[in-house]
Amino acid sequence: MSAIEIRGLRKSYRVYQKKEGLWASLTGLFHREYREVDAVRGIDLDVEQGEFVAFLGPNGAGKTTTLKLLSGVISPTVGQARVLGHVPWERENSYRRKFALVMGQKNQLWWDLPAQESFRLHQKIYRIDPTEFDRTRDELVDLLEVRHLLGQPVRELSLGERMKMELTAALLHSPDVLFLDEPTIGLDVIAQHNIQKFLKHYQQQRKITILLTSHYMKDVAALCKRVVIIAHGDIMYDGSLAGIVDRFSGHKELTLQFADDRMPSDLARYGEVLEIVEPKARLRVERGSIAEVLSAVLANHSVEDVSVEDPPLEEVIAEMFALTADQSRESRDANRQPAQSVTQSS
Amino acid sequence: MHPSYLGVFLTFARNSLIRDMTFRTNFIIEAISSVSWMIMNLGFYTLVYQFTPSIADWGKYEFFVFIATTMFINSLVQAFFMPNMQELSELVRTGGLDFALLKPIDTQFLVSLHRVNWSSLGNFFVALLLLAYSLPRIEGLQLSPWQYLLYPLYVFLGVWILYSVMIGLAATSIWLGRNQSLYDFWFYITNFSRYPMEIYDGPWGTPLQKFFTFVIPILVVINVPAQLMAKPLIDADWWLAGFAILATVFSLIASRWVFKLALRSYRSASS
Amino acid sequence: MHARVATWWTILKICVEERLVYRGDFALGTLMRFLPIVTQIFLWSAVFVAAETKGIKGYSSTDVIAYYLLTMLARAFSSMPGLATGIARQVREGEIKKFMIQPIDLVSYLLLARIAHKLVYYLVAAGPFALVYYLCRSYFPGWPTPEVFVVFVCSLVLSFMLGFFLEASMGLIAFWFLEVTSLLFVYMLFTFFFSGHMFPLDFLPEPWSTIVDFMPFKYMAYFPAAVFLGKVEGPEMWQGLAIQTGWVLLFIVVCRRMMHAGYARYSGYGG
Repeated sequence: MSAIEIRGLRKSYRVYQKKEGLWASLTGLFHREYREVDAVRGIDLDVEQGEFVAFLGPNGAGKTTTLKLLSGVISPTVGQARVLGHVPWERENSYRRKFALVMGQKNQLWWDLPAQESFRLHQKIYRIDPTEFDRTRDELVDLLEVRHLLGQPVRELSLGERMKMELTAALLHSPDVLFLDEPTIGLDVIAQHNIQKFLKHYQQQRKITILLTSHYMKDVAALCKRVVIIAHGDIMYDGSLAGIVDRFSGHKELTLQFADDRMPSDLARYGEVLEIVEPKARLRVERGSIAEVLSAVLANHSVEDVSVEDPPLEEVIAEMFALTADQSRESRDANRQPAQSVTQSS
Repeated sequence: MHPSYLGVFLTFARNSLIRDMTFRTNFIIEAISSVSWMIMNLGFYTLVYQFTPSIADWGKYEFFVFIATTMFINSLVQAFFMPNMQELSELVRTGGLDFALLKPIDTQFLVSLHRVNWSSLGNFFVALLLLAYSLPRIEGLQLSPWQYLLYPLYVFLGVWILYSVMIGLAATSIWLGRNQSLYDFWFYITNFSRYPMEIYDGPWGTPLQKFFTFVIPILVVINVPAQLMAKPLIDADWWLAGFAILATVFSLIASRWVFKLALRSYRSASS
Repeated sequence: MHARVATWWTILKICVEERLVYRGDFALGTLMRFLPIVTQIFLWSAVFVAAETKGIKGYSSTDVIAYYLLTMLARAFSSMPGLATGIARQVREGEIKKFMIQPIDLVSYLLLARIAHKLVYYLVAAGPFALVYYLCRSYFPGWPTPEVFVVFVCSLVLSFMLGFFLEASMGLIAFWFLEVTSLLFVYMLFTFFFSGHMFPLDFLPEPWSTIVDFMPFKYMAYFPAAVFLGKVEGPEMWQGLAIQTGWVLLFIVVCRRMMHAGYARYSGYGG
């Protein structure tokens, strides 16, 4: 049985259609026009026990909404989901004891108190056995190297330290499923790396199921074998990280280093010139014609060094988002008229 | 398996105390300010009793018992519920409510009690002193053990009625999403409860009295325990004491219903 | 053509409706502020009934109610919500630097902002005030003489200035003590009790009535109301207005002095 099963999950909500101008905003206080927005539009997904899956997508793609749906904070408009056999939005206490949600932009620890006091509160709320609680907490704070900070008020901790405390709090009840929403947002490189290392270790040891959303491709590359890309509420891609490049990028990057003073002036005929720093040049070449181009270059010029690489992942993904944004705008425009008339009549 | 609600509540109380103690000066200022506010109020009524022997059949010391009751109930409401209700709209705005919804514990319990404002209990002790000072000075008052038993009970019921009104209003503002001024209603509405119900008399007063007794039962909050203590209930008033129990149960059920409704709309409206 | 006119008409109607609803909401909030007066009316009616008297220190029962209604108006001029705490916050968070480098000083800027704020408020609140005063017209003794009315209006404007400069001075103390919450609380307590907002100051016994005469607070609520009701007449009235002006001038000077001293102290510390 899959740990997480999602079928046709859809969430739409009404947003206030704000208009410009003082008059409009004054009148808008009372008579508001709303528009239906789909945050998630009918997604299907299965995640097996022990998988570490990344959700990628631009802001507003529906990643956080999906995590909130799966944790039962909000109810879907239509569709089904089961996590560990529970329907999340039924919010049974037995389910709520089995998962945790960590949001990088929000904190749930008491701001003015030392983290250990919030942990104790967690123990009471989740009814964790005291010896079990001590053992788990000690293990976590040692792994995250924050034991010495337990007695300091949370407001005095750095962002990275605070995130570690948030993670500790979330894992105290040893959840089977963990939802991480941008856990490394705003952290410096070292703190990011520490959190990644911890998550990787913890997940491998416990074989828990983790869904992670992140903007940092490094998080994803370090942690997840499987990547799900969401844009505009739809799943665009589901597979390995390497597969993204194969699937979405039709190009390779060719770097050539020419012999002294032999820089050719007509490089553009081989492909799109990205950068020239003599004696090097970087070209973008269609995947299918790379062999052809390479042999032509080698035949016509004296080249000292050659490398052929996939374009950087960030670029591929950005390109893909731009592409899907156009597509979805078209499909939305086509649907807009009927959707709006429904709203106004209701 | 249910979480231990008492255990969680004690941890809330403990954490709040630790927090209050880290901001000690603030704590002391708050305690002093709420006490001096009440003392000023007392000064006002002392002044009024210079000009009259009684107000609506409440003699000076009987009225002081009334004020002491007000202080007991208000200090309890302010200590346990007020800071949480004020924070509720903040929780909705910042998304902190999401975390409350995840916890394997009743959400209304969690958002209603997670912070305790210890400094507000200062008035509780002033009220004790005031009660001890006034009771022996009421002429012809014979206190029976029943009164000592029922008084705390009715104070307690009063606290629950006020809590219901408060969470009902707070939940309604989540529900409507925009109306902040709803919360201000609380102060204006509860203002009516701070006077003996007998003063609401005449063509305007009687309907007002009925409204705040039977529709929004805030007049029973202080009046019932205060009468019970200062003017041992005459026969005609026993029905009011019975009604107070009914009103408490009803208010709690109604406010719970409103709260659930508000959460449901929060769940379907946010993304 | 006909269709177009119909459309315009519809749009116009909707806009007017929306406007009215908006006004309605704000006006409702202002009307709510009169609710505490309702309880005061009942309380004082009960007092006058029990005391079996026609007047307390020269106030009849209708006078007392008219007095409360008039102090509401005076407080609409003299109360400055958020002014002192705002200044204290700006000092604490260093925002004050902005005013030290701009060609406008803090106090002038805040005064202008406050005047704008009050003007908008009066514009919207005028309706509710007029409505309440009209409904309660039987409590008023009738229109005063033009002379009294001029003094009344002057004292309202002066009470605005007094309220502003007094509270701004309180806020400026933040340059010396960062935590001014307790001071502000004492200030609030004093204004509430000694401005006459809670009861007509004539009711105070000695030595309090003399003490109150030597404080500026009574010019923020009591004085304008007393002038209107004819409780202060003739030369005494003009003398009161002169003293009020004196207080205003004094606090303008104090406020400016404090601001400059505060700037000097602030820059001396290096921000």
